[in-house]
Amino acid sequence: MPGSVRPKPLVIVGVLLGALLLPAASAFAGNGGFAPVPPESPNAEGIHQSYLFISIFAFAIFLLVEGLLIAFVVRYRRRTRPRNQDGAQIHGASKLELAWTVGPVLILAVIATFVFVKLPTIQDVPAASAGNRNMVVDVTGTQFTWEFRYPNGAISIDRLRAPLGRTVELHVTAPDWDVIHSWWIPSLGGKIDAIPGKLNKTWFSAKRTGVFQGQCAELCGLYHAKMLADVEVMPAAEFDAWLEERRSQQEAGTSPLGQELWEGSCAKCHGAGGEGGYGPRLTGSALVQNADAVATLLHNGGILMPSVGRDWTDEEIAAVTSYVKEKIGNQG
Amino acid sequence: MATRVEHPVGPAWQRGKVASWLVTVDHKRIGILYIGTAGFFLAISGFLALLIRTQLAQPDGHVVTGDSYNEVVTMHGTGMVFFVMVPVLAGLGNFLVPLMIGAPDMAFPRLNALSYWLYAFAGLVFCFSFLAAGGAANTGWTAYPPLSLAAQGNGQDLWILSIHIMTLSSLAGAINFIVTIHNMRTRGMSWMRIPLFVWSIEIYAWLLLLVLPVLSAGLTMLLLERQFPETFQFFRPEGADGGGAPILFQHVFWFFGHPEVYIMVLPVFGIISEVIPVFARKPIFGYKAVAFSTVAIGFFSMLVWAHHMFAVGMPTYLNIWFMLASMVIAVPTGMKIFNWLATLWRGNISLDTPMLFCLGFLSVFTMGGLSGIYLAAFPVDWQVTDTYFVVAHFHYVLFGGSMLGLLGGLYYWWPKIFGRMLSERLGKWVFLFIFVGFNVTFFPQHLLGLLGMPRRVYTYRDDGLWHAYNLMSTIGAYVMAAGFLLFLLSIVKSVNGRRVGNDPWQADTLEWYTTSPPPPHNFDEVPYVTSARPLYDLRRRLREAEST
Repeated sequence: MPGSVRPKPLVIVGVLLGALLLPAASAFAGNGGFAPVPPESPNAEGIHQSYLFISIFAFAIFLLVEGLLIAFVVRYRRRTRPRNQDGAQIHGASKLELAWTVGPVLILAVIATFVFVKLPTIQDVPAASAGNRNMVVDVTGTQFTWEFRYPNGAISIDRLRAPLGRTVELHVTAPDWDVIHSWWIPSLGGKIDAIPGKLNKTWFSAKRTGVFQGQCAELCGLYHAKMLADVEVMPAAEFDAWLEERRSQQEAGTSPLGQELWEGSCAKCHGAGGEGGYGPRLTGSALVQNADAVATLLHNGGILMPSVGRDWTDEEIAAVTSYVKEKIGNQG
Repeated sequence: MATRVEHPVGPAWQRGKVASWLVTVDHKRIGILYIGTAGFFLAISGFLALLIRTQLAQPDGHVVTGDSYNEVVTMHGTGMVFFVMVPVLAGLGNFLVPLMIGAPDMAFPRLNALSYWLYAFAGLVFCFSFLAAGGAANTGWTAYPPLSLAAQGNGQDLWILSIHIMTLSSLAGAINFIVTIHNMRTRGMSWMRIPLFVWSIEIYAWLLLLVLPVLSAGLTMLLLERQFPETFQFFRPEGADGGGAPILFQHVFWFFGHPEVYIMVLPVFGIISEVIPVFARKPIFGYKAVAFSTVAIGFFSMLVWAHHMFAVGMPTYLNIWFMLASMVIAVPTGMKIFNWLATLWRGNISLDTPMLFCLGFLSVFTMGGLSGIYLAAFPVDWQVTDTYFVVAHFHYVLFGGSMLGLLGGLYYWWPKIFGRMLSERLGKWVFLFIFVGFNVTFFPQHLLGLLGMPRRVYTYRDDGLWHAYNLMSTIGAYVMAAGFLLFLLSIVKSVNGRRVGNDPWQADTLEWYTTSPPPPHNFDEVPYVTSARPLYDLRRRLREAEST
């Protein structure tokens, strides 16, 4: 047996603390990841508060356990005693053991109570009132894009527009023939899975304008990492105008829907300019000149290509086929 | 049943250096085979982990493609769970359980050999699945349908096959452990006197027996639906008669999957409960509490599975049930931590390598337990589930917990298994590298998850903090890898390591009563067991005899 190794635990503890402080130093500019991203909606706010509440107890218990561990190891290390000398032969202490059984039960009860009190503000959709009507948006996840359908029939891809201060209910699902995805914009609340054959609901009510980023949170295949989403929150009047404009552009065939579908759905495999990637090169292909053939392919899928357009409306099919024909087909 | 087993000398060809290992039914040799094979899979799965970290060191990394990345993630997880942690614990249990209970071998030595060889063949299928058309499985170790139904090629099918074979291996092993522990304890070894490691293996075996058949059923359904999609629609929602439900698989998988976590960590609790008392020169504080909390954790672990599924949109009353049940598990786990701490109190603590790893376990496993509270509280879980926060959490439990404790156990029992010490000097360095590397790797991942980085992504947004934390995590992974290389070096050097007697640590349990390494029949005679620490009693009686 080697001799004394006394200084070692202290060195180790020092190194560990150093390692922990490294990110802490760089991080306190924002919250740096020590708490969820700043909440911008009442439901995210409720989650944030629950997180901080749990942290109080978690941090206290962490300090208690690590403190006792270090104190005992330092205080009761062998020093000059023979290595086989008995320590105190204590077999247990029922009262003490009862205390550290009941104590955690009480702490957990307090945490659970706090979470249950917060639950309605997180989970329940605020009731619509005369001055503040809720807007329902159908959110559909497909490999590897998000589609948003607004109440008036307008459609957008990968970027959801929302009015400031108005409650937005999201009805989230995935087509029967697709896979599971998970809707998540961290500053606007928690996740809800988009599951084929199941309709899930969540909501948010943004407290400020701006663009809030998120992405799919359930492994959904090759380009899961590229299945990004964001929410652009606009002043309510501006949003209403946008929604109407979008609807009429869509009817006239002048909306950016074709480009959005291309970027969200096609470009991930075929390259941003159709130069090819995981999927074949499209520039110079005769197929893209033929809108009917493209429509059939979108609807039925190809050898490796999923049937991404199976549930698309005629407007969406028309928008993407004409975009592909113009922008990709003409690049030769 | 605990009669002396005569070892008949086999035919000449079975006595060769290699052949004798191929035909062995000796629990100690089988244990060593298990541990060695698990070491091989640790190298493979660890290499995959380094690939992951190298890819994620920078945003838009090009070390692997997105396609291969999903294979790497899947095979890393599957390898570590099914082919490293579960079998290495089976190996350690194989070597130790008969010795600890004073038995000459396992109850069914040939079944024991079958368990090992099934594991080896399952491992072969796992390895060769990388060569399948379309590559290895790429849908995560959880293989959720419909993604796993849509997966191209045969990687997914071979993945299912390898786990099916592994399941048979573990079931046979579990039955063997249970029969051995129930029937082959030596004279005087009542249930309240068996070593706590044996208690943990008993619960490990019961959990395997209860939940693995459920996994097998789920995988069989998956295989059927992949191969005969027209006939079987368990999980795919579209279908002639309304189809199935994708969520069904998640329930089946996690009914197995959550107890699986405890299958991988309870035996390590057992290791900690053996090592800490020996190096603190004290009895375990509250033997009964530690033993019964193991039983309690095993029981509750089967009631909490859907806390992995809070985001699928379950009814609120189910969310509440699974939240409260998950929190309840924290209570017996917390009891253990405080009992281990109290075992240190007023001890005579020697900081040899086995003890360092166990103290390291205590410090970081606590953190893995505490981050679990966030995941149990379902509204908070909605924010952190499926992110790097979860990745950090379960690595704090399964690496900081299981792996550190396992390394402590290997350092502790190495002299018993091979009769020679692992270098203590190198051991301290191994610990330092692995412990520091572990924390540098996984602590920043909590922060990444809270910042919004989902798990299982091959690239991420080029955002300053995301990059900084990912880079830090990658650096930590390489520090850890250096630690494991040092461990490999100390194994190589231990071939010429210091020889030891029966009981180099002055330990308390029966395996230290026999020679190191033990003879094929284990014991010439076993002392009558008078407490949970038979060798302590023996030493005391010897001292008393000397003094009179």
